Amino acid sequence: MSTPNTAETLPTTGPAGGAPASPGGVAVLECDDVCVHFGGVKAVDGISLQLLPDTIHGIIGPNGSGKSTLIGAITRLTKLTSGRLLFDGEEYQSSPASVVARKRVARTFQTVRLLPDLTVLENIQLGADGRTHDEGPRPNLLKRLLGKQISPAVGEAIERTNLQGFESFYPSELSYGTQRRVEIARAISTGPRLLLLDEPTAGMNQTERAEISALLQSLRTGGLSQLLVEHDVQMMIDTCDHVFAMNFGKLIAEGRPKDVVQSPQVQEAYLGRKWRDHA
Amino acid sequence: MSSFYLTNLVLVQATITGLLLALSIQVPIRMGVFSFAGAGAYGFGCYAGAILVLDYQMAAVPTIVITGLLAGLVVLVVGLLIAKLNGLYLAMATVAFCLIISVVAINGGELTGGSTGRYGVISDFTMGHMFAIGAIALVLVALSERGKLGRRVDAVREDPELAASMGINVRRYRLVAFAVSGVLGGVAGAMNILVRSAVSPLDIGFPLIVLALTMIIVGGSLSWKGAVIGALIFTWLPDLLAVVGEWQELIYGIIVAIAAVLLPRGLYGVYVDTKRSVLRRRRQEATDKATAQTPPPTSTGDTTDIDRLAPEMEAQR
Ligand SMILES: Nc1ncnc2c1ncn2[C@@H]1O[C@H](COP(=O)(O)OP(=O)(O)O)[C@@H](O)[C@H]1O
Ligand SMILES: [Mg+2]
Repeated sequence: MSTPNTAETLPTTGPAGGAPASPGGVAVLECDDVCVHFGGVKAVDGISLQLLPDTIHGIIGPNGSGKSTLIGAITRLTKLTSGRLLFDGEEYQSSPASVVARKRVARTFQTVRLLPDLTVLENIQLGADGRTHDEGPRPNLLKRLLGKQISPAVGEAIERTNLQGFESFYPSELSYGTQRRVEIARAISTGPRLLLLDEPTAGMNQTERAEISALLQSLRTGGLSQLLVEHDVQMMIDTCDHVFAMNFGKLIAEGRPKDVVQSPQVQEAYLGRKWRDHA
Repeated sequence: MSSFYLTNLVLVQATITGLLLALSIQVPIRMGVFSFAGAGAYGFGCYAGAILVLDYQMAAVPTIVITGLLAGLVVLVVGLLIAKLNGLYLAMATVAFCLIISVVAINGGELTGGSTGRYGVISDFTMGHMFAIGAIALVLVALSERGKLGRRVDAVREDPELAASMGINVRRYRLVAFAVSGVLGGVAGAMNILVRSAVSPLDIGFPLIVLALTMIIVGGSLSWKGAVIGALIFTWLPDLLAVVGEWQELIYGIIVAIAAVLLPRGLYGVYVDTKRSVLRRRRQEATDKATAQTPPPTSTGDTTDIDRLAPEMEAQR
């Protein structure tokens, strides 16, 4: 990182569980001193971080600390005030959002954003529609024109998110938790190299959360880098390999989930005494 | 040929040009672009068609092709100029474009024939040409509602930010919407002049916007089927209403008002909604039967069992 980082960097001895983060492996994504200011509001204020392959990263932080804005900046849906963004070591802070998405950066949003007139299957296929990295023969033109083509990636995403049986449903017929799973399936079906999830389990019960956590961990292969925003601290500890803590648009700590959660800065900013007692 | 067809030939022709005009405004609306530039392209197409035939002795098919391409180009340029606008402001800018076409038509000297317009446009245009061109346009628009393109168009309309995050170049889609709208409007205008043989400034301009909007509001704005329904109704209805004489306008107005208030997705939308609720009810009946046959899940909470039943339980909500 080119600028001095004011965040307290806690010892990282590799991910909490599973494969170690590739030592010396090149970061999939790098933020360098990224700022997003809305008038006087410094939503993101000088964030520098790296996201590694085969790793689940987490961001914790109180409401309004800039987590969603940071994801917006990384995906280029939100305009940067200053700073650099690098994907595979290449700067992209002036590329439009669609170009970034085609680098295989997929995201979900904090609120459910499904297309109401498409079925679950079609909503997920929308993600697979953007795939440009598939090899092998393309389906024939007529089939594509008539819209009969369903990508293999869609079937796989449906299976992973346990959505079998819902394919022909419309979003309005589904519970909130199921809608969220459709969004995750849509993001997965793009075949991402970087997956950004903004509170994917909001509105889900414990069982559903555990399922999503297991799903994300099962995706921690093939070079995929993940960034998860969640409020459920226990889930973050169980799921993430590396956690960043944000407050007022700045990084206040990063490292192993347990260490970050227990660090005094984070306790002060976010968790209060309750968590320390609990831990 | 049946005598019905021959006596109503003018209405058949008007249905086809009306349909293409309606599509020229529906295509951008399907992409969330409230542009009426298609109506301007129609006016442009009427005059360009007249000029190509009268001043350049061009045959019907090349006249239509060239007019369509020119109109597409003109409207694309309009799109580039106003791409940054949205919603009402964009709509107003495209209305202004339609008015500019009218002003040019009145003040175009010999080229446009001033307030008399151009007349005597006779060419080798046949009804065969007309049906073929109408069918091609319809098939192409229908294909754009299916498959990958259809989904992506939906995304661009419903949620441009989401569309961008799916790798869709929203700006490009919107510009293509302008160009396609120009081609459709231009072709409709050119066919209109070739069957009517005359055009004056009174034939183009604002009333075309009203006509096209009426067609797609009543028929349905999100599918070509809606445009077909609308074009049929509003080409034939005024003729049928001729019986009631001066009440015609009133009845016409009431129909549009009722449709706008009661059928926000048009007649085609009613069909889609009905189909969907039938589907939902069938699903429910199927699961009711399934749950009646299988013993209720035990309260010990066998998770695999619950997982399997999840879709069914959802359907019953
Ligand atoms: N488009 C916007 N315009 C103005 N202020 C914004 C905008 N988006 C977010 N903010 C502000 O930026 C801060 C960070 O918001 P956000 O990133 O949503 O926080 P978090 O996701 O951590 O809850 C908040 O104070 C919020 O009000
Ligand atoms: Mg947020």
